[in-house]
Amino acid sequence: MHIKTFTITNKLGFHARPAAELVKTVASFKSEINLIFNGKKSDTRSLIAILSSGIVGGSTFDVQANGEDEIEAMLAVSELINRLGGEH
Amino acid sequence: MIGIVIVSHSSKIADGVVELCSQMAHKNLKIIPAGGTKDGAIGTDSIKISEAIIKADEGDGVLILVDLGSAILNTEMALDFLHDTIKKRAIIADAPIVEGSIAATVQASISNSIEEVKLAAEEVNGFKKIN
Repeated sequence: MHIKTFTITNKLGFHARPAAELVKTVASFKSEINLIFNGKKSDTRSLIAILSSGIVGGSTFDVQANGEDEIEAMLAVSELINRLGGEH
Repeated sequence: MIGIVIVSHSSKIADGVVELCSQMAHKNLKIIPAGGTKDGAIGTDSIKISEAIIKADEGDGVLILVDLGSAILNTEMALDFLHDTIKKRAIIADAPIVEGSIAATVQASISNSIEEVKLAAEEVNGFKKIN
């Protein structure tokens, strides 16, 4: 299990398009990847779960990756979240 | 790939939903609108819907998102026009048309399972917009 904390710095957090990108990013990995925010776990394979996670701009949350390719998966998720940070 | 069909009483709504979903979809994903009647009025048309289903079908299945009332009746009638092989893999989602279509297109961009795509669309039913 690999856990990393992120703060999303764009204005809207995981709004529709970034959430869709996240679903597509994690689909290429075997690991289970969840967002943990305010004690709530959201499965990144579900667009609706991500949109319901409550993560908005400025939120600090954990990403939990569990599986054989968890390191690679976390790297891909980190890249996506960092890229979002440049968005306003 | 799974195909998606958007059935609305308004051709503008169907076209708009396709436009919105295309922003998030895999570039090869077929999202076909079937909005309005044949003469461009408000309503739905079972022939138009069945043509859209045929256009969207690539062999893995077609998920159909509908708005209200006769959109559902005419889609069921459209399915009856189709050959059994297509009819068997074309399913109507029990989901709101805009949100359901978005969730379905994202899922269809990563999955070739009609059950998974239908489930993604129907998951929207429990989605709260304001917490």
